Amino acid sequence: MKTKRVLLAFSIIVVILVIILISLRAYYVTVALVVGALIMSYREIWSLIRKRKLPPIDERVRENTSKAIRNGFIFFAMASAFLMLPFTVFLTEAPSTVHVLGGLFLSGGAVYLLSYIFYDRVEPRLNERRLKMIKTFLLIAGISLAAFIISVFLHNAISGLFGLEEPVFFFIAVFITPLAFAVGLIGSLVIFVKGLLSKTV
Amino acid sequence: MKTRIKEFRARHNLTQEKLAEIVGVRRETIIFLEQGKYNPSLKLAYSVAKTLKTTVEELFFFNDD
Repeated sequence: MKTKRVLLAFSIIVVILVIILISLRAYYVTVALVVGALIMSYREIWSLIRKRKLPPIDERVRENTSKAIRNGFIFFAMASAFLMLPFTVFLTEAPSTVHVLGGLFLSGGAVYLLSYIFYDRVEPRLNERRLKMIKTFLLIAGISLAAFIISVFLHNAISGLFGLEEPVFFFIAVFITPLAFAVGLIGSLVIFVKGLLSKTV
Repeated sequence: MKTRIKEFRARHNLTQEKLAEIVGVRRETIIFLEQGKYNPSLKLAYSVAKTLKTTVEELFFFNDD
């Protein structure tokens, strides 16, 4: 992690996810998440305790991070395929939250798999502006996915706690985040395919 | 790839941690470099060589086979 802010943001996200998972009584997943987060950030935490500063991100770390991200892409795609497998066997009449989540997860997995396979070919063919755009679109997709999950949780939590039909988070979860996700996904895919088909290197 | 970083480091009385701090990398990177398990960029190789007051050719050498 590059800065203390990134570490702080990462920790806050983990804490939010832990609270959500505990509320869902998914204790094993919670333990796995906490252990994973500690494994990911133990060097940073240790360095902060010992030297009061984060360790430098050198070229070796950068290379390893990029390999880890690539492996993560493969894992994500495989997990998506396994998650979607039951839905291809059982036909359902109305899409539920689980189906929507599964669909989003699968779409994300497909994009990441494509990125993993072709990114090395695409990157040299895109200029700085396009590369920035692709990153922005992917960021939008990622943030909207997280916002969707948080909104669903908050909507259910507020409705359950106060016994009223909460409209704001419902609107965000049902209309805004899927739209933002679609924009991010389609935008990044369009630039990606353009780069893939471009002949100038 | 083999390196003489350890030898030069000892000559200059530098610890792995100190060398890492000077060239702006993690201590693990210096460990990997010393063991010849990591191919550094030209920039890092030059930086290490400069810190140890030697040349890249003196510090790193390759077996052709």
